Amino acid sequence: MKKYLFSFLAVLLFVTPSFAKVNAVATLPWIGSIAKEIGKDRIEITTLIKAGQDPHFAEAKPSMILAARKADLLMYNGLELEIGYLPRIIESSNNPNIQPGKKGNLDCSQFITPIEKPSSVDRSMGDVHPLGNPHYHFSPKNILSVAEGMTNALSENDAGNADFYRKNMQLFKDRLMEKQKQWSSRPLKGKKYIAYHKLFEYLANEYGFWILGYIEPKPGIPPSAGHIQEMIGLIEKAKPDAVIATYIAGKKEAGALSLKTGVKSVVLPQDVGATEAAQDWFSLIDEVFKGLE
Amino acid sequence: MKHWAASLFIIFVLCISIPSYGADIESRLKALEDTIQQQGKTIEDQQKTINALKGETAKTGGKTIESAQSKATGLFGSSVLSNPNISLVVNTFAYASNLTEEELELRNIPGYTTEGLENRNGFNLESAELFLFAPVDPYFNLYATIPVTEDGAEVEEAYFVTTSLPAGLQMKGGKFKSGFGRINSQHPHAWDFADAPLPYRAFMGGEGIIEKGVQLTYLPTLPFYTLIGAEVLQGDNEFLFGPDAESGPHAYTLFAKASLDLSDNSTVLFGPSAVTGKTKTGSIAEDTDFDGDSTLYGFEFTYKWKPSKQQGFALQSEYLYRTQKGDLSALDENGDVVSVDELRRIQDGLYVQGIYQLDRWRLGARYDVLDLFKDEYRVAGEEQEFDGNPRRMTGMLEFNPTEFSRIRLQYNHDRTARDEVTNHEWWLQFTMGIGAHSAHPF
Repeated sequence: MKKYLFSFLAVLLFVTPSFAKVNAVATLPWIGSIAKEIGKDRIEITTLIKAGQDPHFAEAKPSMILAARKADLLMYNGLELEIGYLPRIIESSNNPNIQPGKKGNLDCSQFITPIEKPSSVDRSMGDVHPLGNPHYHFSPKNILSVAEGMTNALSENDAGNADFYRKNMQLFKDRLMEKQKQWSSRPLKGKKYIAYHKLFEYLANEYGFWILGYIEPKPGIPPSAGHIQEMIGLIEKAKPDAVIATYIAGKKEAGALSLKTGVKSVVLPQDVGATEAAQDWFSLIDEVFKGLE
Repeated sequence: MKHWAASLFIIFVLCISIPSYGADIESRLKALEDTIQQQGKTIEDQQKTINALKGETAKTGGKTIESAQSKATGLFGSSVLSNPNISLVVNTFAYASNLTEEELELRNIPGYTTEGLENRNGFNLESAELFLFAPVDPYFNLYATIPVTEDGAEVEEAYFVTTSLPAGLQMKGGKFKSGFGRINSQHPHAWDFADAPLPYRAFMGGEGIIEKGVQLTYLPTLPFYTLIGAEVLQGDNEFLFGPDAESGPHAYTLFAKASLDLSDNSTVLFGPSAVTGKTKTGSIAEDTDFDGDSTLYGFEFTYKWKPSKQQGFALQSEYLYRTQKGDLSALDENGDVVSVDELRRIQDGLYVQGIYQLDRWRLGARYDVLDLFKDEYRVAGEEQEFDGNPRRMTGMLEFNPTEFSRIRLQYNHDRTARDEVTNHEWWLQFTMGIGAHSAHPF
């Protein structure tokens, strides 16, 4: 009996599948998408949060812990977006390579300049992110730095393919420059919107449109009937071009506001994979531009 | 009782209506104005500082001179590293039962435990619970849980966790909640109901197995999640072990958990647990002392469906099975042994609970029962007869304004005392947390 038990344990201990490829785990779909641009077929990517799930409120599912256990490189959004589950996933992964401070732990926000960093914050203000707006994946400007940071991290974890990653980074950069020219020519300057959540501020800053107000009275807090009434007043006065929501938050509320005021409502993908057309980071931004016009 | 229940309900309705009056546009505008003013002021201040600095630079010919007082000494440090992450969770509730205080205190579970119910009709403060945690260095994380009650503070948990062991291993040491079962390792404020399930109360006491010791877990890289853990514990739990049962550690646990994602939105988690050890306790029956061995087996099952932030469902169940064998001494009023008989108990219990969540509301139901399949209780070879199964039905309605606050209304139809008396229990519970953000457990 004992012999069997030991051989069973021995099998468990040593049958660790070996991957030639770098095993990269991304918390969010857009992070996985950028990593794919850099690593192409030489890395294995697992994404923890699916496009239909709200990255603010995920739970540390055992399958996520297992993915982290197998990871060589863990890439995450940072700015406390994943604070509710990522610290637990990292600790429970029993994987020393992805612990904070190790080369397998990549906080993508370290490469960007956050906006809307409050000078002081408490939770009476709702779920405000004290380190700044965490939704910087809608910032083409910042994404370039993130991709560069990711290229370095991949090269560090897989020196043999460093040249391959650098070459892909150059291709990504060229394509991004090209796309930025296209996006800049889009007629968004001066347009006005009402949004559900503070999600498109980076894009608004970079491409010169305005977000006048939010259907959420405070971040993370659903609107009351009274607040909706106030929003109707604001829409009638300010005449925005559209009310914007995403597939995971505010669809219903934006639709209702649109019905009441006659201002069109648009539902935008919040991350890669939220719609069929938004299949990678470039097409995600394309789709957002299309929706905003 | 009825008045109590009615007034609790009214308070509940009042409470949940408060957060729906969201901030109106005026206060938002006011906040905006304030922000702009503040920013203006900041810019002014900064300009002043810049001007002042310019002046100073001109005076000192470009050299910067810093006064000694303006700098932190560096002796004690004033960085964020001076503090660990700290959070405080206050758990307070109003309680109403048709029973009097004396009846509640005596409301034990015959055949299981002599311990009654601690809640008092009226207002109760469960605790103000202090959590501290931070990485120690690249090798350890440190945690402490310090519930402060009206009777004082205690160290409920204080343990380290390794972060750098190879091969999927992790070690935990100190005083901690055992990995046995599902609810055992959760903090009471993370439970879905105001009180512990009946099998927990009957077999290990309402607080569960919290022990000093070490734990080793192993997470293999199999295609699905499997966690295997073992613990060596001191064995202080009054229900299963007892500090005087043996000198040195005398309790051991083994547990395994497996989990599969059935789809992107649904997950199952299940696994067996066992804990065994030497027992010395006076909690079995009045005026007795027990000396022997106990083993508790458990099986847990959880199914979760979470298609979106707005909606979710969870079904959770645990089955516990306990065997106990040893000498039961009858004591006289001086505590002297009158007679010693052999005691043999094999008993079991189960709870099943379901929680449905819609937006900020959660609706829950739970059924607890003891003596489900096995009910053996022999003293000196004689079967002890008890009437009926101890059982309980619970309904719960929660409103969670944010993830940091919760208002819960709970009703228990409690038939645990094996008599004709039903204990109708009502809770109106407020649980709120401030400080560092703690992780959402699965």
